Amino acid sequence: MLTLLIRRVVRLVVVLVGVTLVTFTILHVSGDPVSLIMPEAPEADRAALRVAMGFDDPLPVQFTRFLANTARGNFGNSFFHRAPALPLVLERMPTTLLLSVFAMALSLALAVPLGIITAIRRASLLDWGATLIVFLGTSMPVFWTGIMLILLFAVQLRVLPVSGWESWASLVLPTVTLATFSTPLLLRIVRSSMLEVINLDYVRTARAKGVSEWFVICRHALINAALPLVTVAGLQFGLLLTGAIITETVFAVPGMGRLIVGAIRQLDFPIVQAGVFVFAMIIVMVNFTVDLLYIYLNPQIRVR
Amino acid sequence: MKRWALPAFVLTLVLSLPPSLHAQAKDTLTVALVSHAPTLDPHMHFERVGILVNINMFDSLLHRNTKLEFEPSIATSWKALNDTQWEFKIRKGVRFHNGETLTPEDVKYSFDRVIDQTKKSPQYGNIRAIKEVRVVNADTVHIITDKPFPLLLERLVFFPIVPKKHIEAVGDQAFGSTAPVGTGPWKFVEWKRDQYIKLEAFDQHWRGKPAFKYLVFRAIPEIATQVAEIKTGGVDLMRNVSADLLPEFKTHPQAYISSTPILRVHYLALDMRSAPFDKRPARQAANYAIDKGTVIQKLMAGLGTQTATVVQPLAFGFDPSVKPYPYDAKKAKELLAQAGYPNGVDITLHSAFVEFRPVFEAICQMLTEVGIRTTPKMWDPGPAWNKFFQTEGKATNGYYGSWGNYSVFDADAVLHPLYHTEPGGWVGKWYARVEGLDKLIDEARSSVDQPKRKKVYSQIQTMLREEAPSIFLFTQYDTLAISKKVQYAARGDEWLWLYDAKPAGR
Repeated sequence: MLTLLIRRVVRLVVVLVGVTLVTFTILHVSGDPVSLIMPEAPEADRAALRVAMGFDDPLPVQFTRFLANTARGNFGNSFFHRAPALPLVLERMPTTLLLSVFAMALSLALAVPLGIITAIRRASLLDWGATLIVFLGTSMPVFWTGIMLILLFAVQLRVLPVSGWESWASLVLPTVTLATFSTPLLLRIVRSSMLEVINLDYVRTARAKGVSEWFVICRHALINAALPLVTVAGLQFGLLLTGAIITETVFAVPGMGRLIVGAIRQLDFPIVQAGVFVFAMIIVMVNFTVDLLYIYLNPQIRVR
Repeated sequence: MKRWALPAFVLTLVLSLPPSLHAQAKDTLTVALVSHAPTLDPHMHFERVGILVNINMFDSLLHRNTKLEFEPSIATSWKALNDTQWEFKIRKGVRFHNGETLTPEDVKYSFDRVIDQTKKSPQYGNIRAIKEVRVVNADTVHIITDKPFPLLLERLVFFPIVPKKHIEAVGDQAFGSTAPVGTGPWKFVEWKRDQYIKLEAFDQHWRGKPAFKYLVFRAIPEIATQVAEIKTGGVDLMRNVSADLLPEFKTHPQAYISSTPILRVHYLALDMRSAPFDKRPARQAANYAIDKGTVIQKLMAGLGTQTATVVQPLAFGFDPSVKPYPYDAKKAKELLAQAGYPNGVDITLHSAFVEFRPVFEAICQMLTEVGIRTTPKMWDPGPAWNKFFQTEGKATNGYYGSWGNYSVFDADAVLHPLYHTEPGGWVGKWYARVEGLDKLIDEARSSVDQPKRKKVYSQIQTMLREEAPSIFLFTQYDTLAISKKVQYAARGDEWLWLYDAKPAGR
């Protein structure tokens, strides 16, 4: 168990270093931030700024310096905001997390019962309906869903605000938008793993013993069907975070994703690097939690 | 982890949401912007979205009225004493939002903090020519430039005057984020980053109180969301309404459109380094090939004006006697044959101008029809485009671009940055090769003798039209969508001068 944990932690560090390397490289080949910071300035002024910011050093030197700073939690100052990048990102993290956690909760609240019912009542009208939802949900891009929901609930029905971050009501549409993106896959997973489990011997035995159907499903079948669900839900959470980037833009929510999109447009390296790092960190932590949950749910893994 | 820990965490976050702002009375004017500037310090950024906020909080020496003429603001009068020295009379009794009275010292301080290079103001380049600001007496300052600087008055229209004592007391950082103080019609109340900036009418403004008590600038990045906000009354004014949205707004019960020509000109820079556009007849053929009238009517909802060169009709130096190339496909084919391509020629053109993709494609099609068979290439706008195609001049055969003059109403503001070969002017540096153009541009910018400058600009426009280093297209319009509860009109300088906004029907 301990070796497993250590191995996971090592992997975590490797992943984070890898992520920083990739972001760093992509950013530095993508263009010259100096010409964006001072587009009108004469070349001499720009060259001076390049030296001041260390952009004239070879890339490996820049990267080593960047890693050393990162290890100390220093991502440098945002070019645009002229303030340390990491606090700017962290300041907006709760909003993004809130949105993702709510969306995940809504997805699970929809996907688990629907998945169970459609598995039990296979080929029923409800099952067909659910398949249709899965189909639509996976094929609609998040920004489009968001704008459609705005048109329906805010412009036509006028029951919810269009955008902003002002009250409880502001949370509804972004959460639903994000959930439409994660629910279909979760629903499909619950349904198919329930189907797999429901006809196994031990379930039949339980039924034969005369245990109530509800108890059989919840106590015996669902626990085993939950394994793939935990894995996929973990992965989905990462996707929710990236989905939040678009959702935050559409609904003008002051979150981390929107900050990063703006920073990419402005070639604001420190913000992008700090942002991607924080995102990676969250995803890695979620995966780590999933692994632990997995071990808890399936004692067989502990033996290996 | 305790079972209640996560719900408790989430609940805490939710409770930390700010209270509703929606309970706004009709005394509030709400404007949608795609984003906020990084700071409210009017000297420390050069973002259009920040300028639009700052002009309503700060006054400059000069103002421009709705007809775009100079009008007194903090300066009541001004005159050039000689080629490099200007005198400004300062208005008496102008008050800052903190109650202090504005003095010539504040004017001098405002310039000094931008001229002082250790402050790294991005606006330094605009007023670089100013060498010194001298306080002469209690109501007079002199501005001294290092050489004749004809654009001085243009640059002073947006050069906010800030309070010396206040900034020295609170520091630059606080001034830009929590304590901005100006002399403008509205004073600062609150700034929620990425959400809204709230301002309140300043009772003691020398012009008198503005019509709306509160002014709110909301940051809404997505245009479709802004449109939805206008329709539901969450926002009273939005910018950059595109042509495809116009029909919808024209019949909308809650909103209307206000549109006016601005200083943004569209052009297609031709690459004179290589065939076929190294030959003048080929470049002229390309100019004759474009049916600009049809493009404007069919693809831009009529919101455009043809131009003969890149000099906008609104700018000083514009010569109306230089006429745009008419659409003449037959003549284009003749000229192309004359350039040595009787059977046509294959080229590639580049663009990163996403909003104008249909226009770009139509232009490529029109070129193809006269024998300049064009492959259009669309690129992702942003840093890579800036670097490779502009800064490094790699858009072989040519690219579609536009130029906004930085809101300076003078031919120099488009000619120097675009066509001068000095670094920064990428068209002049890479694509255009027009003999003698540099000399004329320099000549016009180094004199304050306006009639003389005008003559040089006429000469330049005639030369540009003849040499055709670009396909000259049209000027763009600024198009606002405005709530019917508000009376306001778009301005040619793209400013949102909301002192002029009034509640409708009053």
